[in-house]
Amino acid sequence: MHDHPTNMGPGALALVVLLVAVVGVALYIGAAVRLRRRGDAWPWWRDASVAAGAGAVAAAVLPFGAAAVLPSVAAAAVVPLPGGPFTAHMAGHLLVGMVGPLLIVLGRPVTLLLRSIPVGGTRTGLLTVLRSRPAALLTAPAVAAVLDMGGLWVLYRTPLFAAMHDDTLVAIVVHLHVFAAGMLFTVAICRLDPLRRRYGLPHLAVVLLVAGAVHAVLAKTLYAQSPPGTMFAASDLQAGAQLMYYGGDAVGVALAVVLAVRWYSGVGRARHAGGVGRARARTVTVGRARRPAA
Amino acid sequence: MTGATRPGDTYGGISVRHSAISGALLGVALMAAIDEIVFHQILGWHHFYDRSTPAVGLASDGLLHTAELLVLVAGFALLADVRRRHALAVRHFWAALLMGAGAFQLFDGLVNHKVFRVHQIRYDVDVWPYDLAWIAGALVFLVVGALLWWSARRSVRTSGLADG
Repeated sequence: MHDHPTNMGPGALALVVLLVAVVGVALYIGAAVRLRRRGDAWPWWRDASVAAGAGAVAAAVLPFGAAAVLPSVAAAAVVPLPGGPFTAHMAGHLLVGMVGPLLIVLGRPVTLLLRSIPVGGTRTGLLTVLRSRPAALLTAPAVAAVLDMGGLWVLYRTPLFAAMHDDTLVAIVVHLHVFAAGMLFTVAICRLDPLRRRYGLPHLAVVLLVAGAVHAVLAKTLYAQSPPGTMFAASDLQAGAQLMYYGGDAVGVALAVVLAVRWYSGVGRARHAGGVGRARARTVTVGRARRPAA
Repeated sequence: MTGATRPGDTYGGISVRHSAISGALLGVALMAAIDEIVFHQILGWHHFYDRSTPAVGLASDGLLHTAELLVLVAGFALLADVRRRHALAVRHFWAALLMGAGAFQLFDGLVNHKVFRVHQIRYDVDVWPYDLAWIAGALVFLVVGALLWWSARRSVRTSGLADG
């Protein structure tokens, strides 16, 4: 991935992340503005959501980035983070792995991309990838949940957490995985962008339920027991674990609200269309694979 | 969630069934939220995790806790849909809400506290008065909800219409 991983400190990674966040938001807003000029309906709150999501990820890495640019900041940044290092780590993970992905996914970036690029080879290639079997497998809700929650379990219940603090490359890979897995899980549950397969509301709700339960149980065990090979102050560990528990609740509710809103509007549409039964309405709603007008 | 037009469910466009389901879901979820906010957060009586909780208790607690959150959202979504259809049976809704709250409290008092021993209501004190009060409260909710349901049904029978 990187040619010289040993030269890539957390600070350098943070700067790359900040750059990608700023450029990504600028590209998104540019594309959305062009879409609106063309006459497409593209609600403004999607721009705000993507910007906030990128901001959440950027906020998590900002302290490291600032430290890389101004080494004198490093000393200041280390000192008084409220709650201690484990709580700070957990706050970062909440932003990078849950809040950021949710806000970005709500902006339907892939749909925007597909609508923005001209019909042709690139667009067809992108659609082929999106509708490919591997993509369908990865975005199967249960698979995405296992990758996301399994990754978290490995991080906190194996020596990986300790290794992350010794080896910068491990830390980089772990943080990229947290973000990627968080994105994947959010995409797989919300299914706002075009995907190959459809899943009914009960399927999505059950996966969300089990994933939320695993997250909650992991948080409770962290309350009592540090990740192997680490020593955090009990108060720090407990504050971090509770942050993980209640933060997970908040994002879980938000994901459930996304599903509920889709159910509500789908049922309304189906009823409006005239006498369609509720059972039928449910498949219409939740499985909806929005394909951009070709 | 299907079967809006099953005979006996609707009276003049009012959906007793959907009103009751949304009320029951919200009752369960709201009582769970009150339990979480009042006893965990405000009073600090419950422990976030007391280390004696066995693994099966921890797992069931995680599932229940997450289910409560999803049920809260589902209850509101269903309520919004029933109201959009102008099909809310108000008294059936409140009756179901009270019974849902009581049922959750009874379940929490018996299964969570006593069977799985996830946590106790309070620590370092004699716990049985608290258990008794919690379970008695559950029964009050259940009885009041059942009475309200009975009177709502009576008013449906006599007038041929649910209120609301």
